[in-house]
Amino acid sequence: MAASAVEILRQQLRDQFPQAHGLRPNPAPSPLLEKPFSVDSFPIGAISEVLPAGPSAGLALFMAGLLDESESANSLPQLVLIDGADAFDPNSFPGDACSKLVWVRCASALEMLKAADLLVHDGNMPFVLLDSTGVKRQDLNALPAAAWWRMKQAVERTGLRLVVLATSPLVPCASLRVSLSAGLSLADFDRAQAELLPRVHASSNQLRRAT
Amino acid sequence: MFAALCLQDFLIIAALRNHAVEGAYPCAVLEAGPASTSREKLSLLSTNPAARIAGIRSGWPLHRALVRCPDLRILSRDPAAEAILRNELFLIAESLAADVELTAPDAVIVDLSGRSSPVTAALDRLTLAGATIHHARALTPDLAHLASRHPATRGKMISPADLAPLPFSVLDLLAAGHPSGKLLESWGLRTLGDFMELPRQAVTERLGPDVGAWHDLVHGKTCRLLRLHRPPESFGQGVDFDDPLVSLDPLVFALKRLLHTLAGRLASRHLAASCLEIRLVLTSGAEWMRRVRLPEPQTAVEGMLSPLQTLIDSLKPAAPIAALRLDVETTFATAAQREWFGRQLPQPERWAETLAKLDALLGHGRVGIPAPGDSFAPDAFVLHPAARATSAAPNSTAHPACPVPLHRFRPPREVAVAHELRNRKPWPLALLTGPHPGEITDRRGPFPISGDWWNPDASWQRLEWDIQLMSHHLLRLVFQTPNRWTLEGIYR
Repeated sequence: MAASAVEILRQQLRDQFPQAHGLRPNPAPSPLLEKPFSVDSFPIGAISEVLPAGPSAGLALFMAGLLDESESANSLPQLVLIDGADAFDPNSFPGDACSKLVWVRCASALEMLKAADLLVHDGNMPFVLLDSTGVKRQDLNALPAAAWWRMKQAVERTGLRLVVLATSPLVPCASLRVSLSAGLSLADFDRAQAELLPRVHASSNQLRRAT
Repeated sequence: MFAALCLQDFLIIAALRNHAVEGAYPCAVLEAGPASTSREKLSLLSTNPAARIAGIRSGWPLHRALVRCPDLRILSRDPAAEAILRNELFLIAESLAADVELTAPDAVIVDLSGRSSPVTAALDRLTLAGATIHHARALTPDLAHLASRHPATRGKMISPADLAPLPFSVLDLLAAGHPSGKLLESWGLRTLGDFMELPRQAVTERLGPDVGAWHDLVHGKTCRLLRLHRPPESFGQGVDFDDPLVSLDPLVFALKRLLHTLAGRLASRHLAASCLEIRLVLTSGAEWMRRVRLPEPQTAVEGMLSPLQTLIDSLKPAAPIAALRLDVETTFATAAQREWFGRQLPQPERWAETLAKLDALLGHGRVGIPAPGDSFAPDAFVLHPAARATSAAPNSTAHPACPVPLHRFRPPREVAVAHELRNRKPWPLALLTGPHPGEITDRRGPFPISGDWWNPDASWQRLEWDIQLMSHHLLRLVFQTPNRWTLEGIYR
């Protein structure tokens, strides 16, 4: 009953102020990222955020895919991993994949943010991956929102890609938010990683901000 | 013109340096043979004058020498003293001219062609503590070397004709171990003059080009280039503070002064710094040391100072600083060739500074290029330095056992687990505590893993499971005796 009253009210408002409602498009389903493991899928000079859609959504597989897809046979790593909870496991990746990244081991949310700030201002590494998934939620909430906005400006200035892995929305100024889902179960552990990577679905949500 | 300097009895002189009292007695250096060989059968490598007066010669087996002289003192070789003696001989040769070749452990050859003043008097004045330096000069380096080995030709300028009376055995310097040397002796050659009179063409046809080369050499027809010896140069510097420093600003000033000197020395040698090593000596006796690897060779003071200053700014020494030491690894300034298709660091000097800042922020050894460890121990990995990534990490295509990477808990989280025994092994049923309590709906395992079994103090063994909970979380669960359950990580 209450719901129908709201609908009637909305209809009346739509009739009264058609110009206020005409420009709003109908909410469209989030498009799937064509190449979720390619660094080119993430905008240059912007912060992107990757969130899991469930408990086993394939966040680690996403990282494995990124390392697998990034250029090899280069003398320099292409990717910096800022590991907020010091949770990266080198034994879970082949040696040649590990050699493509610089691992920054942090012990707290504040260290993670400071390390990210240093690396973003440095600008030598084109792709910075910030993994905050193991950090306590209350520590992440204690980070000032202004720090993310300052980081956004630094990222725009240096023109690198900053991708934040988080369990729930963390960066207020993210330009792109990607939701991962894979629905992994123990039965999948008997398969090869190459078979599991296509199961990771990444739906993107382009965000518009005032600044 | 070349001069050869040699030390007769090099081995015994070096060995006696640490046994000065023994020098008055007959002494000999014994060769180091295999453990299975009887000591008495080993040969004498070198003897001192007192031993020679007693009638003992180098090359004799020990038992024969002891029969002749029961009081013979036997010494073993002293490699450290030999190296010092060799270096002293080299420094003496370098005082004559800059171009010196270390021809043999006991001989050097000096190129005197660039020297304008006469050298005869200078050569005669050469002295070395506890040893006599023999010398000879010739127009070719090998003639000078041969002449310095025999008393008849020492101390003068010689020509090929002067070598003729020398015994044929002098040629062993060149022909040691060569079968043609023994063959020539079996032909009845007794002096070098006999060998020089042989027709070169015929000797070469019969015995090969090596013997032809010896023939040219003793006739002074070949003058090879010297293999110049350049001792490794140290760029190490240091400052001992009269008053120990209690603040870091004066330290930066002192460091800057050392870097200015270093930059000048590097520039004069067309070199660049690839790695800086800073060492602080505290008044408490403790030392603080860091190595800063620069991503690109640096010659400018600013490029070297910046990462060092960042390190120093983050320093909190436990005691006043008594001394500062700075050393450097050098490379050629153009050693890092640009790759057309490979990515280069846009601002390498800034990268070094950023790494130094991260080091100061997170602690030493927290930033690097990871690589899987070479053992099956849990969480075994190595971290290579990130400053210079080229070939830092050995590439390996070996794939891990589990297709889904683990998000590891460091340290592992202890949990209480409801379990039962199956085949005398624990079988987890539910997680009672921890971040994800709940019933275990599926599991893979147990995977028994153990290591270091050969070391009773360090041996370990564990059982691992990959488990799935009712909440669909995937975790790695570990059991260790006697009754310790831990969560190793989560598969996100």
